[in-house]
Amino acid sequence: MFFRKTRTRSTRWLISIAALTLTALVLAPAQAAAGLNVVATTSSLGALAREIGGDQAEVRVLAPPDRDAHYLDARPSFMAALRRADMLLELGAGLEEGWLPAAQRGASNRAINSGQPGHFRAADMIELRRSITMDGPNMGHVHEEGNPHFNADPRRMAELALALGQRMGELRPDHADSFMERAERTADRLRTHAETLAEQVVPEQRIVVYHEDLDYLEEWLPVEIVGYLEPAPGIPPTARHLRSLVDDLEGTEGTVLYAEFQPPRGAEFLERNLGWPSHAVPLDPPADSSLDGYLDLMTTWAQTLPQR
Amino acid sequence: MSRAPYARPVLAGLTALALAAPGAAAAQWSAQSEDRSWGLDVSLILEGVYYNELSHGIDEPAGFDDGHDHGHGHDHGHDHGFDDGFNLGHSELVFQANLGDLFDGVLMLGFDDSDIEVEEAYLTTRALPGGFQIKAGKFLSDIGYINSRHGHDWDFVDRPLVNEYIFGDHGLQETGVQATWVAPTEAYTQLGVELLQGETSGIANYEGSQSALNGQERILRDRSGPRLVTAFAKFGPDLGPDHAAQFGVSGGYARSYQVTDEHSTRFEDWDGSAWFAGLDAVYKYSAGRAYGHGDWRLQGEYFYREIDVDRRDVNFEADGNGPVGFVRNEQSFKNKQDGIYVQGVYGFAPRWEAGLRAEALGLTNDVGRGDGDSFGTSYRHSAQVTFRPVEPVFLRAQLSQNDFIDDDGHRDRGLEFMLQLNVALGAHGAHRF
Repeated sequence: MFFRKTRTRSTRWLISIAALTLTALVLAPAQAAAGLNVVATTSSLGALAREIGGDQAEVRVLAPPDRDAHYLDARPSFMAALRRADMLLELGAGLEEGWLPAAQRGASNRAINSGQPGHFRAADMIELRRSITMDGPNMGHVHEEGNPHFNADPRRMAELALALGQRMGELRPDHADSFMERAERTADRLRTHAETLAEQVVPEQRIVVYHEDLDYLEEWLPVEIVGYLEPAPGIPPTARHLRSLVDDLEGTEGTVLYAEFQPPRGAEFLERNLGWPSHAVPLDPPADSSLDGYLDLMTTWAQTLPQR
Repeated sequence: MSRAPYARPVLAGLTALALAAPGAAAAQWSAQSEDRSWGLDVSLILEGVYYNELSHGIDEPAGFDDGHDHGHGHDHGHDHGFDDGFNLGHSELVFQANLGDLFDGVLMLGFDDSDIEVEEAYLTTRALPGGFQIKAGKFLSDIGYINSRHGHDWDFVDRPLVNEYIFGDHGLQETGVQATWVAPTEAYTQLGVELLQGETSGIANYEGSQSALNGQERILRDRSGPRLVTAFAKFGPDLGPDHAAQFGVSGGYARSYQVTDEHSTRFEDWDGSAWFAGLDAVYKYSAGRAYGHGDWRLQGEYFYREIDVDRRDVNFEADGNGPVGFVRNEQSFKNKQDGIYVQGVYGFAPRWEAGLRAEALGLTNDVGRGDGDSFGTSYRHSAQVTFRPVEPVFLRAQLSQNDFIDDDGHRDRGLEFMLQLNVALGAHGAHRF
């Protein structure tokens, strides 16, 4: 009996596979005809793409800006977005390694595979600072290529804007000139704004940060990082570590900065014991930002420090 | 047998498509960097489990003693094979590499203190057009939710009863080919089919031809693979930054389900087919705080299985009924069984999670063998607390109360305590949703 059943079942499979193939073939060209569909892992990258792409690009940001981009789930909605993307922008250097490769695999879209022109890995375009995880003990949170939090450095973002403008032009040659023009304007605005903000800050500022995610402030603001609230990257502050920070910094002046999603207790402890002001700051602009959102974020960072 | 003429062309077609398509899309583009030409990632997952049976209940849930554990040679009394005291749990050595962006290759070796097993060894295409992907090799089927995940990703120390008893000790783990398609839609939609060899004890147990006894043929025959076909669909709407969910439906048909059991003087043979169908859902809430504080994960699965077999017993030794080769107990019957679990995990403090799991096995538990019987439902309730001191390490304490019913309708409770230490070393791959 069950032999006959088998026959009808396998025929049905054949038909459904054929139907799927046809549907896909019908849908695929419709996709390609539209503007450049860009998916960015963080809103800082999204802001650059939006500014450079203008009306020619549709930009979707995956990581909510108020979340730690290290620890996200490879959500079905991410895979759906990547499935339809012409271009994927990631910071790289291990920042998104806990979830992005799984989302890329689940998206079944060759255009955004590693090594394809549609995959823009920002860490490949610029020089990175050393990550403190490269020197410390291996606690499972190691960024071998360097510190991936370069979205806190507008000068590196300016370099990225130029590389991104060029890459977007390669994908849409018709708009290459306008992309490049906008990229250059973006780079100029980033550099000018960085200079302006740096001049307003009282020189020789000392800051303590939570994680190495604000290290790049050293690259453009007159600040020096003198400590981390985390005893090691990825490990929350311990009482012993905080006491030793207080011992080291006793009698000096400075500011404590941490991200909005990080627990405030360590910063509050330093504020009580050292008298240093502490500020929770965003690490990325709002999800739908273009360049102005990022410039505002730079202002927020700079203005946590004493102004001239 | 009649399946082969259809299955072969499908297999051949899929393989040809997989191999030809990347070449067709030959517009190769050389990446500016990423010279990781070989790109071999290795990771080692080590696990230790301390197990303590606080009180002994019933070993096997009623109605599920057939087809389960056959040929596995498990000599432990417990379904998960832990001894009282210290156990080297289920450790894994994982190799991952890629051939450009054309293929990903995965080799996953599972081992405990006595055995090494190839758990998964497969290639996945990465360059097919139109949202298609093909996976070939030995792999964990993508039916349901937990089936394709390794113990390291589970929220509880042990496998859900429904997965263990409907499929097998390793879930639905098979050699074959899988084709999936992701639709270019706003909401994530994935459809997949799998052609599998058909060897999993719970759904496609395979024995093959048995030699005749005193000229009396047995009913079991060789049957060429693939003997099991499955299909699944997954759907995941976009629920914004805080919420995420995925819903799945899956099913499968085994054109061969064979069991042979050795009694004191006779072999009992079953030959027939089986099918299953199930639903799965997972929901995750992200509170946006550090170290998973305030996050929720809810997950549940239901599976139904029907086995439709002919039974025929043959004496291998003369007994009161007849000589060697004597045939009796000829009947055709169906077994209809199912199971469900629901679990929730909450991040009650930074790096700390607590979870509850409720399971029922055999809500429908009709076994047709002999005069037929409708057995009762077995239950299990588990609670766990997990601490993650650093990212790749977790320590989990779990208390499980099993409330199984036996074939005679007696119900008894057993209580188990487990302490699990799991450490991931080396390149730690990305986690799927």
